[in-house]
Amino acid sequence: MNGKVVREYIGGGELARIVSEGDATRRALRKVERQQERTELERLEALAAPVGELCEVTMILTRAHLLAGGYHEHKGEWRRERRA
Amino acid sequence: MSAELELSADFQERLTELSNLSQKAQAGDKAARRELRKAVRSSSGEVIARASDLAKMGQRVLIKTAATNNPLLEEALPARLDLMREEIAGENPTPLEALLTEQIVSLWMLLQLHEVLHSAQYKRGSEHQVSPSFMLQMVKIQESAHRRFLASVQTLARVRKLQANTPGIQVNTQINLR
Repeated sequence: MNGKVVREYIGGGELARIVSEGDATRRALRKVERQQERTELERLEALAAPVGELCEVTMILTRAHLLAGGYHEHKGEWRRERRA
Repeated sequence: MSAELELSADFQERLTELSNLSQKAQAGDKAARRELRKAVRSSSGEVIARASDLAKMGQRVLIKTAATNNPLLEEALPARLDLMREEIAGENPTPLEALLTEQIVSLWMLLQLHEVLHSAQYKRGSEHQVSPSFMLQMVKIQESAHRRFLASVQTLARVRKLQANTPGIQVNTQINLR
């Protein structure tokens, strides 16, 4: 409650046992759901990884081509070398 | 990442060489620039072709995931990507333009996949709602892909503009757009 852990006394006996089991089931369910979400995110990242790698390769090749073609990068802008 | 998508050691080595020479050339090293010209002439064609293959393999994985065993989508998506390639690359693209086109197409496909997955999350209903942190992570991955997509379009435009004013370097590579 308000970011703090609050313990609530429910009582004892059969009722308390049922409530406790319900809590445990909900916690277990949440844990499984979080695990599923982690797996899904890992799958998404794995799918995006080759594209990310392609972007890096393309960036290296683009830079190499432009520099070899007589350009240089100045503050993020490509300019023609004067004596290229 | 699957084994077939992993970069070979030779490919990685050539990329590292190009990257190192680019760094030195950018810093004003004239010998490095000459060396870079030679390296671009001799190896960049092959590296570009290999990178294009890598792009296409990645696209196939994305298509398969987005199609989710729907044969119609599995047929339609590659055709859509072919159309995009033709539109973006235009007539007689240089190998570098063709590679940048592959990058744009790959990122577009990745964004489409994200759209599909987002829609699926919203359709799951309130009983199976995912956590806000999960949605936040998904959006972050999508935003990153979107930024890269826009940057790649900008790079292609820039390369075209610059190459239009340059004799350019002759690289004999054939990249099949279909």
